[in-house]
Amino acid sequence: MILYCLKLAVYIRLLHDKNQCFNQIKRLLLLLTLISPVTVLAETNWLDNLQIHGFTSQGLIFTTDNNFYGDSDHGSANMTELGLNASLQLSPKIRLAGQLISRNAGEMDNGSPHLDYALLDINFTSSSKGRFGTYLGRVKNPLGLYNETRDVAHTRQGIFTSQTIYFDKVRNLIISADGAQLYGEYFLPNGTLLIQGGAGYPIPDENVEEAYFGQDFEGELKGDNLAFLGRIMYEHDGGRWIVAASGATLEIDFEGTATDALGPFIPGFGYALSPLLGVNSGKIGIDYTIFSAQYNGEKWQLTGELAYEDIDYTDIGGLFSDVDVKSYGYSVEVNYKFTPKWEAFIRREAFYLDKEDKYGKDFESASQQLNSTYPFIPAIPGHSQYSENWILGSRWLISPRWMARVEYQMNKGAVTLSPSENDIANTTKDWDLFAISLSYRF
Amino acid sequence: MKKIIRHSFIIGCLILAPTISAQVLIVHPHNTSSQLTRNNLRAIFAMRTPQWPDGIPVHVFVLEDNDPVHVSFCKHLLDMFPYQLRRVWDRQVFSGTGIAPIAVKTEQEMRERVASTEGAIGYLLPENVDSSIKTIEEIL
Repeated sequence: MILYCLKLAVYIRLLHDKNQCFNQIKRLLLLLTLISPVTVLAETNWLDNLQIHGFTSQGLIFTTDNNFYGDSDHGSANMTELGLNASLQLSPKIRLAGQLISRNAGEMDNGSPHLDYALLDINFTSSSKGRFGTYLGRVKNPLGLYNETRDVAHTRQGIFTSQTIYFDKVRNLIISADGAQLYGEYFLPNGTLLIQGGAGYPIPDENVEEAYFGQDFEGELKGDNLAFLGRIMYEHDGGRWIVAASGATLEIDFEGTATDALGPFIPGFGYALSPLLGVNSGKIGIDYTIFSAQYNGEKWQLTGELAYEDIDYTDIGGLFSDVDVKSYGYSVEVNYKFTPKWEAFIRREAFYLDKEDKYGKDFESASQQLNSTYPFIPAIPGHSQYSENWILGSRWLISPRWMARVEYQMNKGAVTLSPSENDIANTTKDWDLFAISLSYRF
Repeated sequence: MKKIIRHSFIIGCLILAPTISAQVLIVHPHNTSSQLTRNNLRAIFAMRTPQWPDGIPVHVFVLEDNDPVHVSFCKHLLDMFPYQLRRVWDRQVFSGTGIAPIAVKTEQEMRERVASTEGAIGYLLPENVDSSIKTIEEIL
């Protein structure tokens, strides 16, 4: 058992190190060695204990302005998702599961496969009253109603997850973590109480850097500090009503280089503006809280989610000196099932990056002031600080496995757009989006 | 008299009407349970009960989501809708936190698989039940 734990520790450490596909395959192989001491399989046909599932989806996106999932201004097919997972029950109490995902998401993800989750599920107790156990390894973060399966078209509310609750531009930071989580499920007389939470190392990437810095610096964001997260969910009457509260608190270190500290060379100024345009090593603290409620009827489904985010920059300096932003977003959706195969929804969603300056007015005037003194610093419009969207969508279940969707969005504001895909200074405030998708799962 | 005739006609119609009878829960013949509560059933079909009280692993069998027998089973025995179960299973399968039940295509296959898999549970229309499997009662 000690050997087992040691191997696991090594595994979690390795899993955390880098994000290359090749390394991930090595890690998977390493993970497989973990199961070698388990001999319970010999007694039964192990294929009976293996489940394999997968999904694929292709979207087509058109926007009137701005870019979302590629050059959508001219029509983008850069929304392709592929996933394959396996679950192997090693013994009645121990299960192994893993999933590989490839996502082509415009400039936000290039489609190279990555390890989405890889975990050992150890069940300590289970009875007719509930069960209790732990997930060890790379585990999806239980946030809101949809975070864990946001990449699976069939499980999303629409073609896209609600961008005001589950921001795609920083998805990798909140989607999963390398560590351990405990879970408890309690079967109460009229419902089920589900609790899941733990600690793990977050997985930052370039998109996260772009999202929190507005650019990709030479230095790197490191997920070296443990993040803590969890969700408490109550499903009343078999899930007719669902309420949940979830949260995560994390701190990511930024390791800046000498070049980052100098900032760009500005003709006429040289490096004199380093204190303003350069960045130093420091950290970004993020607190993220989501409240969710849902009614699931035969025809009607009502969903509401509210998210708070608190971002605190420490020691980074430059434009991020003493920045502490409190944001919030919400999403309210009404869904009606005309037939079991055909349903439609309307959703209102909004996100405000700075709740003290909801429409970015102060931000815009500060930015313009900076721009008038230093013309080479672009003036960023206030609409980059919020989003208010109306979304209409419909889905058709062609068969239990095939699904087609269509969606129309009327968007005001640009906070949900990724700086990886857009020059934020030149984004358009009012923009519409039309998308269709075809998805398959097994 | 007219009333009695009319009443017995209505009662007769009810009795003889083509039975959209509630599905019967079936388990492997060695299963030691004789009844389950609705909560037990919901937990079992949500794949949240890995073992029977005697320790034998639970194997859940279901028909396709759009099969009328499955739809009726969800409504009458679980008081849920097929899309709710599907969402529970999808969340578990695609997040790695659990598994999905085994889907079978026909009631005949359901009967055969439940009869031959220790720890199995499923459901059938009453007319398709035979002695190869054990039936089990739902108590509310």
